[in-house]
Amino acid sequence: MNLFENIRLALEGLRANKMRALLTMLGIIIGIASVMAISTLGSAMTGSVTKTMDKIGGKNIMVSLSPKNYDTQSTLQEDDLITQEELDAFRNTYADQIKAISFSTGMGSGRLNSGFIHKDVSITGASPDYGLVNNVNLVQGRFISNRDMDGNRNVIIIDTTLRNNLVGVDGDVIGKEVQVDTKSTNETYTVIGVYEKMVIDNPLFYMGDDTRVECFIPITTAKSLNPDTANTVGYESFTIMATSNTDSAAFAQTTKDYFIKGMSPLSDYTIEAQSLEAIASEATGMLGTLSLGISVIAGISLLVGGIGVMNIMLVSVTERTKEIGIRKALGARNSAIRSQFIIEAMIICLIGGIIGVGLGSVLGITGSTLMKFPSTPPIGPMIIALCFSMAIGVFFGFYPANKAAKLDPIDALRYE
Amino acid sequence: MRKKIIEMRGIVKTYYQGTPNELEILHGIDLDVYEGEFLSIVGASGSGKSTLMNILGALDRPTKGHYYLDHLPMENVKDDGLSQIRNKKIGFVFQTFNLIPRSTALKNVALPMLYGGVPRSERSRRAADLLQLVEMSGRSHHRPNELSGGQKQRVAIARAMANDPAIILADEPTGALDSHTGRLVMDIFHRLHQEQGKTIILITHNAELAEETERTIRLRDGSIVDNRKNNQYQLGGYYESV
Ligand SMILES: Nc1ncnc2c1ncn2[C@@H]1O[C@H](COP(=O)(O)OP(=O)(O)OP(=O)(O)O)[C@@H](O)[C@H]1O
Ligand SMILES: [Mg+2]
Repeated sequence: MNLFENIRLALEGLRANKMRALLTMLGIIIGIASVMAISTLGSAMTGSVTKTMDKIGGKNIMVSLSPKNYDTQSTLQEDDLITQEELDAFRNTYADQIKAISFSTGMGSGRLNSGFIHKDVSITGASPDYGLVNNVNLVQGRFISNRDMDGNRNVIIIDTTLRNNLVGVDGDVIGKEVQVDTKSTNETYTVIGVYEKMVIDNPLFYMGDDTRVECFIPITTAKSLNPDTANTVGYESFTIMATSNTDSAAFAQTTKDYFIKGMSPLSDYTIEAQSLEAIASEATGMLGTLSLGISVIAGISLLVGGIGVMNIMLVSVTERTKEIGIRKALGARNSAIRSQFIIEAMIICLIGGIIGVGLGSVLGITGSTLMKFPSTPPIGPMIIALCFSMAIGVFFGFYPANKAAKLDPIDALRYE
Repeated sequence: MRKKIIEMRGIVKTYYQGTPNELEILHGIDLDVYEGEFLSIVGASGSGKSTLMNILGALDRPTKGHYYLDHLPMENVKDDGLSQIRNKKIGFVFQTFNLIPRSTALKNVALPMLYGGVPRSERSRRAADLLQLVEMSGRSHHRPNELSGGQKQRVAIARAMANDPAIILADEPTGALDSHTGRLVMDIFHRLHQEQGKTIILITHNAELAEETERTIRLRDGSIVDNRKNNQYQLGGYYESV
């Protein structure tokens, strides 16, 4: 007897007992739905993390000096700082893995004044490569040059909103002089460029509602304006942009080892190097832990669901003992009876699986849309979920089906 | 001389074998049935008629003795082989009809063909023909619980005929029916016997119905005590006599 006939028979059987079949499916539905929902959500999140990473520079490695022990007061010594010579040597050693190195230092917030216009801004001292490394989207003028650096020039790059405030959308702001007050400085800068602020609409990368405009000045200018750093020649931190075919996590380790070797063992400070990819994979790793937890719950619910299916199949075999006897009297082989019941169990589970996949996809899409990373349910897990639910049917349906197949025809016919 | 289709030698059936309450139900039955014969088995309740019928129908195996169906020694046939024999060579008709409640009359009739591997379209075509034969065409899409006892039994007979078996085994087919309906069912058996040459073995408690058959066997406490031809019966003569 063929598969098609068995499916027809199974559907006939289920139609006769719709409510019971649905209740039996519940465990499978819940199990598959939760797996499906979490994998939809998960793939949406990973997808959006990858997208955002590309935007903000996934190949970046942040290197900084950090205290070995945060509890004790430790002061950064002049010779702990990484010098330009050390950096050049490092860059030469790993030339094929480094695309760019940039430096920056925050100068904190300040107030930009131009005529009657006063705006709160934050000032960042940046090196020429900063623009490349951090994907600064320049729409007008230029970024900081080596000459600006060498001359500690008072030049500034502002963003489009600030430009619109100063001169209007169509106005020419390049060359305009603005005055910036910070806590300890009061300087006049010449605008050399305008950039467009990057919009990151990923809640996982939410960094606070900073409405202040970030403005860039040469890092040398920034350092010279700060009495603490005015006379130092090294760097406390920098960002490496690795080439696209470099394993940035591994290269972060290489970088760390390289610079630690050059440091005095007596220093209170050590080198930390972390790739953005590693930070992101930490975030997705957390998601992995979460989905593992949900998968365990889903697994338990599938197990309970499977046992439910087995139970209902045993009831069904007992109820239909006489029918089994009749079928055997009419010439059904044991194998035909066995496959009839296994396929019935499989169909229960498959229908449960289909409902679960549907429900889980809806939940996953709704959830991911609410969390602002809209996505489509992944096909792979969908197919796996359906195959798995059928496998549950075979596994838990086998015992009852075998019991049915082994019934003695006469005993079964006599059964009242 | 007609061909021997059933040959039983020394058939013994024992229940609870090897236990203290061992129970021998059939005590060495010898029985020959010829192709195209209409045989009836009578006997008191508990005399072993159904037990014998189950062995004849390959639903059960004897504890001792030899059974040749169409010259095939049944003791050598494995379980799947017995399924196949039940499917192809034997048609059962039971006292309590034993139709599958969830299936329509048509599907019930088609069931043995399903297990026999007959293609789907062929199944429904033949099932419809068989329902026509028992004058149940009008009810082919009804389920058993929508049919009267006599109608159910007609469907059951059509089902027994599904794979055109050589032998029809009927265990008190009229037992659950009133005499008029029983008469209709009995007429169908006569027709199958005379028009299609089926070998029919009929168990009955009704002496008059037994008289209508070619030969009657009487069982008492698990042994054959009487085996005689019925004078009343003439091949092809049944319809004229009614
Ligand atoms: N599975 C079984 N286990 C034990 N004893 C059985 C079994 N099946 C039948 N018997 C016994 O075998 C005897 C014969 O039973 P059987 O059903 O063959 O009688 P019968 O002649 O068909 O009776 P009836 O006319 O009432 O149908 C009975 O005493 C019955 O109790
Ligand atoms: Mg009986």
